[in-house]
Amino acid sequence: MDGYTNKIAWVDLGKGKISIQETDAEMKRQYIGGRGFGAHIISSRMGPRIDPRDLANLITFMTGPTTGTGIPLGNRYEVCTKSPLNGTLMSANSGGVFGWKMKKAGFDGVVVSGKAKKPSYLYLDNGKAEIRDAADYWGKTTYETTDRLKEDLGDKKARVLCIGPAGENKDLLACVINDRDRAAGRGGSGAVMGAKNLKVIVATGDMPIKPANPERLDAVKERVRTKIQENGICDALHLYGTSVLVNIINENGILPSRNFQDCNFPNPENVSGERMRETILKKERGCYACIVKCSRVCEVEGETNEGPEYEGVWGFGPNLGIDDLPLITQANWLCNKLGLDNIGTAGSIACAMEMREKGYISEGPTFGDGTGLLELVNQIGHREGFGAELTDGSYRFAVKYGHPEFSMSVKMQDLPAYDPRGLQGHGLAYATSVRGGDHVYGYMISPEILGTPEKLDPYATEGKALWVKIFQDLTASIDASGLCLFTSFALNADDYADIMSATTGTEISAADLLKIGERIWNVQKLFNLAVGYTKADDTLPDRLLTEPLQDGAPKGRVWERQPLLDEYYAERGWDNEGVPTPEKLKELGLGEPGIMHAHT
Amino acid sequence: MQEDENGAEIMKVTVKTFATLRQFIDKESQVTIDTGTTVGELLNMLTATHPGLKNELFDETGELHKYVNILKNGRNIHFLDKLRTVLEENDLIAIFPPSGGG
Repeated sequence: MDGYTNKIAWVDLGKGKISIQETDAEMKRQYIGGRGFGAHIISSRMGPRIDPRDLANLITFMTGPTTGTGIPLGNRYEVCTKSPLNGTLMSANSGGVFGWKMKKAGFDGVVVSGKAKKPSYLYLDNGKAEIRDAADYWGKTTYETTDRLKEDLGDKKARVLCIGPAGENKDLLACVINDRDRAAGRGGSGAVMGAKNLKVIVATGDMPIKPANPERLDAVKERVRTKIQENGICDALHLYGTSVLVNIINENGILPSRNFQDCNFPNPENVSGERMRETILKKERGCYACIVKCSRVCEVEGETNEGPEYEGVWGFGPNLGIDDLPLITQANWLCNKLGLDNIGTAGSIACAMEMREKGYISEGPTFGDGTGLLELVNQIGHREGFGAELTDGSYRFAVKYGHPEFSMSVKMQDLPAYDPRGLQGHGLAYATSVRGGDHVYGYMISPEILGTPEKLDPYATEGKALWVKIFQDLTASIDASGLCLFTSFALNADDYADIMSATTGTEISAADLLKIGERIWNVQKLFNLAVGYTKADDTLPDRLLTEPLQDGAPKGRVWERQPLLDEYYAERGWDNEGVPTPEKLKELGLGEPGIMHAHT
Repeated sequence: MQEDENGAEIMKVTVKTFATLRQFIDKESQVTIDTGTTVGELLNMLTATHPGLKNELFDETGELHKYVNILKNGRNIHFLDKLRTVLEENDLIAIFPPSGGG
């Protein structure tokens, strides 16, 4: 064994057939797993120009070699597909327990094609895979589906990944939920499952997950465990959750409020991680093999669930002008129940609020008013009432009413919780992310705000392009490995190389890992170019380039697209239009861009 | 600018603390200091009067812990004059222990 189960289930829902195949050795070497496997499989087997909700779209669910090996924070799996939201080669990462259980069920991953004739679910159990009838679960929330399935199967240890009503309705904000409250959130992958009539994947079983060198991995585990436990950032994550960021980001003057109109939210303390701990927190929870336990289990009005996280707190809080933490928590839970991307959902509501404020629409929500918030989220999930206007994200909504400038999105995907006018490197990561508006494909907040691995001036542009490239490439390899990105607060590229070498039995260096990450990044980039994205799309909403911040330390600043973008292309070995050069592709062992078009 | 009883010029700054630091010091307080006081001198005053705070901010050599962040009016002092940054009337000093998320 080498960390992998060495089995992938290829599921053709249209024909009702499953083929279980050996995990390809060359694919393991070139792409590691997780996001790498998904990106490679989709880009090599599918034309980029197909309709994402067409039968031909593939969706993959892939673990990495470290998933379930017991290495701290090794629990992730990745959903990849052509995004119905923006057409990019999307990947969305999730933790919890499902990834580990998929490997205990005997599978590195699953590739799904075609559309089932009726609502179906995929059942994975000890090396076997079956397509089963999901009629009893169609129309149910993710909570209902998860709880009922485990009860119906009589298997409390089974783990459930599913979509909610939003995915069934093929909403472009629909996400994939596992373990009730963990989300592979971005890009609309829930709509792809819905389009395929695939409601659920169940994983159960007790098959072994063995690394190549258990003794070496045990030693690495101890070292990694110590580094994580001694890292103060991980300590704060345990105590206050990701919402510890609310005050940090606010004090730096970059906490977006009222649809990024300003960074002057009056009551950040009311929605902070500190306040959460004092009020609604019941306990901390960790994913499989996690020693950080950043997830929050909270109680509101007698209901107890997992969440919310920082992004959701910001999205339904400061960005809507709302400071009611219990209400914000309920809105997040509702997104999980309905299977909605909370960043996209809240961003779409913020967009509608600003358009209402400016008089471009005559109905809809207003800033600071949480009265109808839960009903509106419910409408979005069920495609009803005014909510039906927002099911496909802020960009399409703003375009429909003639004002795309109010969509705070990149490549049609809503932006997360950091104003890039005070964060030049993070802004570059937003603009160049190969999945569109996103914060976890290159988390420049670490050096620009948190000071790890070293402090970088957030207002400086010089040298940022190389930092962004390295962060993006390293993140891609972490996403491929099955490790949680939060390990990067404590570990460096050499640590990851050590983990991977002990797990797979193949010696790999930090430079090798970065090269694999770069390969994954370029695969996604080539796909996006073939879809039709150009340099013009590597940018941010006009507001962030032309309207200076009015408050705080970054007052007067905007995001400086140039020279950042040209330097970034140069660091990547791309031409002036952001197209990988033949030399770069050859170095990475990839075909030229034109080859991608041959599939369309 | 005010003067103390000895005629020395004094001023007020606001200190805000976050996360685990609140075990040792109020989350927000007004501090009266001499004109020309630096951030380092302010921290020495605070650690002298708040037991436990020193270990949260400084290592055994007296250097700030690597991931401690101190902002003066929203700007990290690392990009100003570090601990030698001179304070001004009504400055807001925000002190964060190592912390982060995503």
